[in-house]
Amino acid sequence: MLKHCTACNLPETYETIEFDESGVCNICRQKEFKDQAIDWAGRLEQLGMLIEEYRGKYDYDCIVPFSGGKDSTFTLHYLMKEFKIKPLVVQFNHGFMRQGLLKNNERTFRKLGVDVVSFRPNWQLVKRLMLEALVRKGDFCWHCHTGIYSYPMHVALQHKVPLLFWGEPSSEYTAYYDYRDDEIEEVDEEKFNRSTNLGITAEDMAGMISGDFDFDPRDFRPFSYPPMRELKKLKYRSVCLGSYIPWDVKKQVKLIQDELGWQGDQVEGIPWSEYPYEKIECHLQGVRDYIKYLKRGYGRVTQMTALDLRNGRISPEKARRLIDDHEGRKPHSLPIFLDYVGLTEEEFNQIVAKTVVPPYQPDFNAKYSPQTSDFENWYREPEGNIGPRRRVVPIVNSGGR
Amino acid sequence: MIGVLNIGMGNMRSVENAVHQLGFDPLVVDQQDGFDDLTHLILPGVGNFSAAMPEIGTRRLKQPILDFAASGRPLLGTCLGMQLLMGMSDEGGVHAGLGLIAGKVGRLQGEGLRVPHVGWNILNMARPHPIFQGIKKGRDFYFVHSYAAVCEQEEDLLASTEFGGPVAAVVGRANVVGVQFHPEKSQVNGLRMIENFCNWDGKC
Repeated sequence: MLKHCTACNLPETYETIEFDESGVCNICRQKEFKDQAIDWAGRLEQLGMLIEEYRGKYDYDCIVPFSGGKDSTFTLHYLMKEFKIKPLVVQFNHGFMRQGLLKNNERTFRKLGVDVVSFRPNWQLVKRLMLEALVRKGDFCWHCHTGIYSYPMHVALQHKVPLLFWGEPSSEYTAYYDYRDDEIEEVDEEKFNRSTNLGITAEDMAGMISGDFDFDPRDFRPFSYPPMRELKKLKYRSVCLGSYIPWDVKKQVKLIQDELGWQGDQVEGIPWSEYPYEKIECHLQGVRDYIKYLKRGYGRVTQMTALDLRNGRISPEKARRLIDDHEGRKPHSLPIFLDYVGLTEEEFNQIVAKTVVPPYQPDFNAKYSPQTSDFENWYREPEGNIGPRRRVVPIVNSGGR
Repeated sequence: MIGVLNIGMGNMRSVENAVHQLGFDPLVVDQQDGFDDLTHLILPGVGNFSAAMPEIGTRRLKQPILDFAASGRPLLGTCLGMQLLMGMSDEGGVHAGLGLIAGKVGRLQGEGLRVPHVGWNILNMARPHPIFQGIKKGRDFYFVHSYAAVCEQEEDLLASTEFGGPVAAVVGRANVVGVQFHPEKSQVNGLRMIENFCNWDGKC
């Protein structure tokens, strides 16, 4: 039986969690600090000064790294509307963007009127990276974590745009950056190595797959953080908008729905009526959340209800019901994913079992979650292309020549 | 150009690397005519006061350093480099220093105190300074030393650390500043301090 926060219900297997004497977790405590002790008026003033420092001096006032989910859409809209900035939108396309998201992007880009750079990495490499990261860390999203955070930094250097605005601060969810430190969350190489890249640099990863996969070293550039010297020479600043204004997901979703026609979507394992706005970007989200549940005994619904419980927007009983009804179900995207990485479900279960966080004990026989309406459109790997393209290593005959 | 003084001893290379990483252009200076193009000068240091001062003399670098300081450009001494800024030291016999900051360097002393002082220790800032910008109270820096400076004038002491009592950690006067710890080995806060120094115009 896992120990849970008495206030928000997050379990002891949650990353960076600690409980105080009254059984309340540090994520709840830092949220109290966010609400009561941070000088948000002063922070907003700092934001204005930061923007003015860079305004009009470069090809763009700033870069907004952009997936098209609720947070980056809000960030882009807020900065353009409140501060009249000219941004460059930079998108790292992990390869699994859903139709609903792409339609949202289209609406947002046309309505706001912005320049957009979109980048999609080599699919054959991505398949091999997903397999390696799954086996080593029980987290197949390494290419996405690293690409999202490093690719826009490369674009900043190419276009010589030193200011970057990310959206939601990680303090909303974890204590890697604690609101109580009362600091601006700098999205830099320190953060990248600390909580983004799973402890695996691009250089490490290249070494890990070099035994059976042919690649050009340049293939790894989008996943590697640019040299500190180059970023420093550019005088870069890379920060979260949520360090300057108090982040409020529900309020912000309402705003982008009203102003931009942004639409939510069905996501596997999440109650669609309650949380249609969360994690709509990727058709493998269901697999990601399923693995999380198998490893740690909680999923996305627990995180969403924890946020609502902290804000007093849901009753503990309703949160319990939503969690019991939706969380930990097996997603229909699982067999699609397994064909990408070339594993059977049995092999997948064995891999995930090795990364389970004690004291949780997983059950691999969950019921399926409902199919989403766009399920049929998700990319399937055709016969003959299943699994990563791995080199057959020749057996070297060392005797004679 | 950020000058890094080379007197054939110490950890010049790691200071040079830190300056380079931070986006500035370091230039190693070991001759008396190398100072004109410099905007800033760093005196790194690991070693013995009684060996360093004569070496500066032999290389005829004392006057160029004093001239550089007199020009108002920012000058930073780290570890032994900081001690060299002082009036004198009794390490290995009594030796005169550069005399840019009034005071002397003596051996760390205290009941049961283990010398050298090695490891991470907290900085207690006594007064504000441009090199402290963005560095929060109570952050740790990396120290390795057996001798420490004592300022004659209280206002020259910018920060201290605790090691059997308060020990001078940062000293400064006008465009000259010295740090007893190794900023180049003090991770993010140390790098920030070097960056602040490289961005400093020498005015307080």
